[in-house]
Amino acid sequence: MTATNPTGRVYDRGYRPYDGELGGRSAARLALFKASVRRALGIRRSWRQKLFPWVLLAIATVPAIVNVGVAYITRGRFEDTIEIITYQEYVGVSTALLVFVGLTAPDVICPDRRNRVLPLLFARPLTGSDYVAAKVGAVAAIVFAFGFLPQVVLFVGQMLVSDAALDYLTDNAAVLWQVPLAVAVLALYYASLAVAISSFATRRIVAAAALLIVLLVTSVTAAILTEGGSGSTAWAAVNLLNNPLQVRDLIFDGQISPDADLAGVTGGGALAVGVYLAVVGGSLATLLWRYRWVET
Amino acid sequence: MAALLEVDDLTKTYDGTVRALDSLAVTLEPGVIGLVGANGAGKSTFFRILLGLTRPDSGTVIVDGIDVGLDPIGVRTRLGYMPEHDCLPTDQSAADVVSMLGEIAGLPARAARQRASDVLDLVGLDEARFRPIEGFSTGMRQRAKLAQALVADPKLVLLDEPTAGLDPQGRHEMLDLVRRLGTFGISVIMATHLLDDVQTTCDQVVMIDAGRLVASGRTEELLHTTGVVRVDTAGRGTDLLAALAGREATLLADGTVEVPVTGDDDLDAIVAAVADAGLPLHGLTSQRSSLDDVFLADHAAGLT
Repeated sequence: MTATNPTGRVYDRGYRPYDGELGGRSAARLALFKASVRRALGIRRSWRQKLFPWVLLAIATVPAIVNVGVAYITRGRFEDTIEIITYQEYVGVSTALLVFVGLTAPDVICPDRRNRVLPLLFARPLTGSDYVAAKVGAVAAIVFAFGFLPQVVLFVGQMLVSDAALDYLTDNAAVLWQVPLAVAVLALYYASLAVAISSFATRRIVAAAALLIVLLVTSVTAAILTEGGSGSTAWAAVNLLNNPLQVRDLIFDGQISPDADLAGVTGGGALAVGVYLAVVGGSLATLLWRYRWVET
Repeated sequence: MAALLEVDDLTKTYDGTVRALDSLAVTLEPGVIGLVGANGAGKSTFFRILLGLTRPDSGTVIVDGIDVGLDPIGVRTRLGYMPEHDCLPTDQSAADVVSMLGEIAGLPARAARQRASDVLDLVGLDEARFRPIEGFSTGMRQRAKLAQALVADPKLVLLDEPTAGLDPQGRHEMLDLVRRLGTFGISVIMATHLLDDVQTTCDQVVMIDAGRLVASGRTEELLHTTGVVRVDTAGRGTDLLAALAGREATLLADGTVEVPVTGDDDLDAIVAAVADAGLPLHGLTSQRSSLDDVFLADHAAGLT
C-alpha cells in the first residue's frame, strides 16, 4: 500500500469585502454608456452580433477607398484630382447609417424593458436622465464613429495621393470642422429619435419598423403637401428624413441646397434648424418623461 | 448597536385611495431581517421607498445614517437589490452581466470583473459563469440575481421573495446563502410571505399587513414558549390520556399528547404518570409559538 499524497485542496474563500472607493452617478453613467457601446458593436457577444456593425462600417468605407484608389491611379494625368464623392456628399451617404441606427437603437434599449432590467439599473446610483444620456450618447457615439471614420480615410487618403499634401490640407482646412460637426449633428438626430421611439417598444423589430415608418410617413407627407401646395414649400420641413441633410448643407454652404424642397422658402434654413431642434429636443424630452419614475 | 434602518410614520398612497403603507414605524439593527406579509401587504412599496424609487406621502426612512429622501443616490451606493421577477439580460453570460452591474454600481472595471467572479463563486455559479443566462435553471437565475446584488459589497441587501419558484433543495440552499450573508457582515432584509423561511433564517422580523405594522422584534422574542408540552409515548397516546386523568390534555392525530403546564412540578408529574403507566417516554417537548401563530394572533387583534 502506498501513501497517497494530496494533489489538491478545497478552500472556502468566504467573502471578501471591497475596500476601494465607489464611483457615483458619473461613474454609473459612463459604465452604462460603455456597456451599451459594447452591446451595439457585438463585443462579448456571438459572432453573428459582431458581423453586422463591422460589415456596415466596411461598406460605409468603400466609397472613400474607391475615391482614394481612383485618385491614386489617375494622379498626374489630370490637372485636378478626381473626386467621385465630396466630403459634403459623404455625410449624406452616412444616411445609410439609418439602417444601422434602426437596428442598433432598439437593441440597446428594448432588452432592458423586455428582460425587466430597469429595476436593477435604477437600484444603483443612476437616475432616469443618466440612463437617457448614456443610451443616447452610446448610439450617437457609434453613429458618429461610423460616419466619421470613412471621412478620415477619405481625407488622409486624398492628402497622401495628392501632389502636395500640405497644400491639400490647407485647401481643405474647412472640412476639418465641417465634417465632424455635420456628422455629429446627424448622429445626435438619428440617435435621439431612434432611442425615443425604441423606448416605447419591448421588441426590437417593432421599434425598428416604427422608426422607419415615422421617417417614411413624414417624407411622403411632405411630398404630398409640397406638390399640392399653393406655391409655398415650407411644408417640406416636415420631411424628417431629409432634415439632417438640410442642416448639413447649412454647415457646409451656409444655406439650404438650391436643389432642396426648402430652397425657395424664406427663412428655410432657420426652419430646418427649428425642425432639427424640435425633433432632438422633443425626443430627449420624451425619453426623460419615459424614465421620469426614477428621477430623484 | 447603531440602527441599520429607522422608519418613522411612513405612509404611501397610490391614486389617492390605495394605501400601500400606513404610518409604518420601525427601527432595525444590522442582521438578517425578515419582512413578512401577504401579497399586497406593502413589501415591494417599502423596498421601492428604501431605494428612493418612490417618494412616500409622509414619513422618513434613514438607512445606515442616510436619509433616503435627502440623498437617495447615497443610499443606493450602500444597497443591493434582488427583485422577485426575472430581471437579467438572457443573451449575456452571468459573468458579463454581474460585472456590468458592478461597474454601474461604481466599481472600477477591473474590480468589477474580479468581484463578479468572486460573488458568482460564492453563490455556486463558478463553473456556469461564462454560460448565457438563457440556459440557466430557475435556481441558477436566482443565484445570479443574488450575485448581482452583492457585487458592489453593499451594507444592506434587499431580497424580494428569494425562494420564489425554487424546489425544496434550491430553497434550502438559497436560505443557507442568506444566512451566510449575515456572517459576512452584510445585513439582509428578506421580503417573503413564507413564515417558515423567516423563522429558520432571520434574527429579526417585521410583519406588515395592509401597509400597517403587525409586529416586529427579534425572532426568538416573538417565538415565546406557549406553556404547552408535547408528550410522545410511541403512539400510545390513548393510554397516556388515561394515565393523566384529571389533567387537561389533548390527543393529537400523530398519537402524541399536548398537556398544558405551569411549572417544573407539572413536568415531574407528567413523567411520573408515564412511568407509573409503564409507557415508553420517547419525547417531552416544550411547544413554542410559530411566526404563523404570532402573525395570526396580531392580525386578529388588529381586526378587532
